[in-house]
Amino acid sequence: MEADEDNKKPACKKSQPDTEFMKDEQSEGLIDEIKRENMQLNEEIKKLEAELQADIRDFQIKENVPETKMKFISVEYPEDDSQFLNISCSFQVSSQIPYELQKGQALITFEKEEVAQNVIMMEKHNVQLEDVIVELTAKPVPLDSGVRFQVHVEISKMKINVSGIPDELPEEQMRDKLELSFCKSRNGGGEVESVDYDKPSGSAIITFVEAGVADKILKKKDYPLYINQKCYRVVVSPYIKRHLQKYQMFSGVSRRTVLLTGMEDIQIDEEIVEDFVNIHFQRKKNGGGEVDVVKCSLDQPYVAYFEEAI
Amino acid sequence: MPVTIDAALCTLQEEQARLKMRLQELQQQRSKLRASPKNKALFPVPEVPLVFRGHTRQGRSVSRSLVSNMKICCPLPGGSALVTFDDPKVAEQVLQQLEHKIDMEEFRLRVQVQPLRLPTVTTIQVCSKPASHSVLVSGFPAGLKLTEEELLDKLEIFFGKARNGGGDVETRELLQGNVMLGFAEEEVAQHLCRIGQFSVPLGRQQVPLRVSPYVSGEIRKAEIRFQSASHSVLVLNIPDVLDAQELHDVLEIHFQKPTRGGGEVAALAVVPPGQRGLAVFTSESA
Repeated sequence: MEADEDNKKPACKKSQPDTEFMKDEQSEGLIDEIKRENMQLNEEIKKLEAELQADIRDFQIKENVPETKMKFISVEYPEDDSQFLNISCSFQVSSQIPYELQKGQALITFEKEEVAQNVIMMEKHNVQLEDVIVELTAKPVPLDSGVRFQVHVEISKMKINVSGIPDELPEEQMRDKLELSFCKSRNGGGEVESVDYDKPSGSAIITFVEAGVADKILKKKDYPLYINQKCYRVVVSPYIKRHLQKYQMFSGVSRRTVLLTGMEDIQIDEEIVEDFVNIHFQRKKNGGGEVDVVKCSLDQPYVAYFEEAI
Repeated sequence: MPVTIDAALCTLQEEQARLKMRLQELQQQRSKLRASPKNKALFPVPEVPLVFRGHTRQGRSVSRSLVSNMKICCPLPGGSALVTFDDPKVAEQVLQQLEHKIDMEEFRLRVQVQPLRLPTVTTIQVCSKPASHSVLVSGFPAGLKLTEEELLDKLEIFFGKARNGGGDVETRELLQGNVMLGFAEEEVAQHLCRIGQFSVPLGRQQVPLRVSPYVSGEIRKAEIRFQSASHSVLVLNIPDVLDAQELHDVLEIHFQKPTRGGGEVAALAVVPPGQRGLAVFTSESA
């Protein structure tokens, strides 16, 4: 269509009165056509957007958190009452981005970014490895994306989850029975503030007036619920809220670590090669500087993990 | 009349040009996706400098994450105290006796001791989930002299205006070096992503910022286990007969006595009756 080519800033011409009517009709026809085309374009865009959304690499983090030794810092006395409602636990999780180091490759981390960038800029380096001189190529390390986020967990001191509640009574009555059973101090209960009962799932959330009742009840896995003459054992568990904060995907970029290639045919011990590479790149006259780490792969591939620079 | 129709024509043609560009962009993204490495992000995500520190592993690449900065806050009731020992064995020994009798000049103080149960997360499973109502704002220059609150306010003001292509902002969060904004309307977020580049007034300067889709995450699983604080002992039901300072001293003396199974006390905090305290624990730095 002609209209496409004039899409920058079409000169909207003023028309002559006598051809006005014809122009109007043509323009209206044109408008309808463009409207239809735009609708189609919109559809295609929405479809592609949806497709790409679904394709977004599903970043999964599955970690067994290693046992962390906790150190007592202090006891605080905050003004905000809400801080006493839960035991809270929070921590940071960050992806350690892997780089598959192939045979004949090495990674070298410099203390200073400028040195690393200079080594990359120089590209070719003739390095003495024991009794041979090998030409190594320096490149930036291509890195994947990762995620980082904070995990916040709150375990309530005032509420508990109850499940396995039998479906024996109408909602209102069962709620009353729950309140009566959970306020009996001889069973470990205490004054109940509210009961949130969900009949279909047979579960409830009980909120107590005082902190400490929940802890006492949770010492056992179940609790007696009295309905008329019978006693049922319902399951009790902590009321826990979990959420993420500051979730962020990031693209890894390596500024201090350089990839060296060209050692595919070397028949020397990995550690010895690492030492030679280290020595070579420590020297300013070779374009190098202070070296932090060198890792070389000659016999077998390794996976090298990159961490946040700070 | 003709002016209106022509004007309408102009607008529609401009819109079509924009739509065609957007379609092309998406088609390019899709072909890049087919050719790209496994975990490279599709749309621009902020860059984070990473460094290799020597941690390697043989064999296949397995995804790994670092857990750090763990903090646990545990409420303590009034009329209690938390005693932390240098040696965990001392804590263990003190806990052998549920009740401790503290001898004082005129009377005896009867208190209970128990371990302090701390929650730890043993497994965590998180997966990403596209957040269609949110966008990521990036490209902030270094040395911006704004506080977190000021920056978020200015962004909310700018992106809250329909004339800038924005709309009602519902959530806002400062991520490391970038900002996430959540809108009431999904279309607003998508529209802003389509436009992509904005010049935003931040203080005295106009700053070029980039808006891109935001991917959020959700917790699939977070298993929790309770373990006792290894070096600490919770003292409960302390009778209200002494003031805080006196009580502090009395308890410290008692729990230092090796004859009572005690030992060197690293820290002791008292929570007076009628008050509440929050015990703070952090992970020991590597």
